[in-house]
Amino acid sequence: MAISPTEAHYIIESSLHDFRIDGRSRLEHRPYSISTKSNNSTSSSTAVSSSLILSNGSSRIHLPGSTTDILCSVKADLVRPSPNKPNEGVVEVSVDSSLAGGLDIVKNSNAGAQKRQLRERESTITSLLQRLVVPHAVNYKALVISPGKYVWRLCVDIVVLRCDGCVLDACAMAMREGLRSTLLPRVSAVVRSDDKDGFASQGGGSSNNDLIVEGDIRKALPPSGAEECPLVVTLSILSAPQEERIRHFCIVDARTEEEVCASSRVCVSVDPNGMVCGVHTLGGGGIVDEAMNEEFGVEGFGISSSMPMNMLSEVVNTAGGAAKNLYQLLDSEKFAGDSKAEDDGSGYGYLLQNQLIIQ
Amino acid sequence: MASLRRTDILSLIHLRSDGRRPNEIRHMTCHLGALPSTNCGSALPTSGCSGSALVSMGLTQVLCVVKGPCDVGRRSEELPDRATLEVIVRTTPFSPPGDRRVANPTTDRRLIEQSHLLQTALSASILLHLYPKSKITVTVMVLADDGGRLEAAINAATLALMDAGIPLKDMVCACSAGRWSAGGVDEIVVDLNRREIQAATGMSGGGGGTSDTIYLPVATMPQRGNVVLAQCESRLSGGAEAFGEVLDVAMKGCQMVMEIMAAAVRERGAGVWKAKEGKADVMLVE
Repeated sequence: MAISPTEAHYIIESSLHDFRIDGRSRLEHRPYSISTKSNNSTSSSTAVSSSLILSNGSSRIHLPGSTTDILCSVKADLVRPSPNKPNEGVVEVSVDSSLAGGLDIVKNSNAGAQKRQLRERESTITSLLQRLVVPHAVNYKALVISPGKYVWRLCVDIVVLRCDGCVLDACAMAMREGLRSTLLPRVSAVVRSDDKDGFASQGGGSSNNDLIVEGDIRKALPPSGAEECPLVVTLSILSAPQEERIRHFCIVDARTEEEVCASSRVCVSVDPNGMVCGVHTLGGGGIVDEAMNEEFGVEGFGISSSMPMNMLSEVVNTAGGAAKNLYQLLDSEKFAGDSKAEDDGSGYGYLLQNQLIIQ
Repeated sequence: MASLRRTDILSLIHLRSDGRRPNEIRHMTCHLGALPSTNCGSALPTSGCSGSALVSMGLTQVLCVVKGPCDVGRRSEELPDRATLEVIVRTTPFSPPGDRRVANPTTDRRLIEQSHLLQTALSASILLHLYPKSKITVTVMVLADDGGRLEAAINAATLALMDAGIPLKDMVCACSAGRWSAGGVDEIVVDLNRREIQAATGMSGGGGGTSDTIYLPVATMPQRGNVVLAQCESRLSGGAEAFGEVLDVAMKGCQMVMEIMAAAVRERGAGVWKAKEGKADVMLVE
């Protein structure tokens, strides 16, 4: 997305004064709403009952005005584990953002190049999710049914219908809620007396009699450890001159316009206990700073695509705080009766929160 | 193993495997404007979406997004007298039960075929000549597939086009019908699900040339009585009369589908009209 120096200046200056373009403060998230299988009657009129009935679990992350709309499906099946990890289940992630179209793809390039860029973007999100979220998403040991023979494979498919900035955060949210809403039927393995001979005697082929599936859906449980699934908080680092020196500061949950202005971005995955599970820095796209600095006659707007070293710990700390707020936000969204969010005084996104929706 | 299975009980009382009567269509819900439209020139970088619809027929769920009419990107696609209609059918990795393969919409033959069928069916109804040198893009995303993907896609595309305000001659409604002989009795059923489609197409595939099984997806413009699409791939011993019988049933199914779709459009229209008059139900999002 192209942005003019004047717009960038406006965005950075207003963020510096803790009042962003949509009225949020710097460390405030947008009011995401979730619909999962268990509660598909969330507040918004546009929230269709989105439970994907053919999947084991599903969720939809949605913002008022539908600037962000993400579906996530979790499908589970039984597979043979890989030989080097016989005691662990498998979680596979795929991200599809084809319907969202060119998010920040250059319009003028031809169709082939656009498609390639889209694929690259998708694989970036996938690999980041795989590194930041998947290793801590579930308890892998608990997905084993019969060591070396049967484990659960959870296929997490995320479809980005629309996204206005912070794709990774929203995808992680969708994944967490999808996993939490997943129900796995209770399956137990039949231990035979000849099992100790190894499965060479069974001829490799799995006979139908070595699994007992509990058909009762009421006894199905979410995968253990899904409650501990981390969320990702992306901080965009903006820089602006203040009092003769360059000041770096960060904002959470940036919109696309703000993302473009960021000099670099840091993705931090934080689990519900406040533990940091991973940090990843993305070199910011950055804006053409020379043009802007010439225009305003000051140095220091969106200067480099790097950040000062001592800033990283500060950023990670900030992310921890922001993540705590995000967990609260998502939980209060889940239990609509909970009035925790209102008690916090400032509330989250008080301008956005009072957005009117016309039915 | 002498116990009766659920399907056996159902077939004893002449119900189908999912408990429907032969002339009943699946539970169908339509939602216009499932993704609120964005203008092409808005600040959002998302690709413009003029209209959208979410249609579920039974367990099959399809989301359709219409973009346009807008500028044709490439000169070679431009038509001097009418609009170009581009149809893309996509599947999601979680849509088919079991199979995890993601079909690429540009290379997968079944998807190309279906998008082509969809395009011909829709261009029969859209007044394309009103928008020369422009392009209308219809993207269909299959969210859950339990048979009848094409029919659901056609219905969703019609509703999304209506949501986008693109002039149509008539609503294109699609429904399928099938026929098989179970226990010596011929049975004609409407709106087949995945299991029934397998029963209706699998048996004729094995070289049984005289079998009477048939699966027939049909798209019609019900208010004009036109059939815009009928696809039959099995050999019929009964000849044209047998085909006609099944087609009649399918067209009745289309009529039922149209009533549901028209109700959804009216509901949406009433909402939009109220909003225009300033009497909309305003909800405070908290």
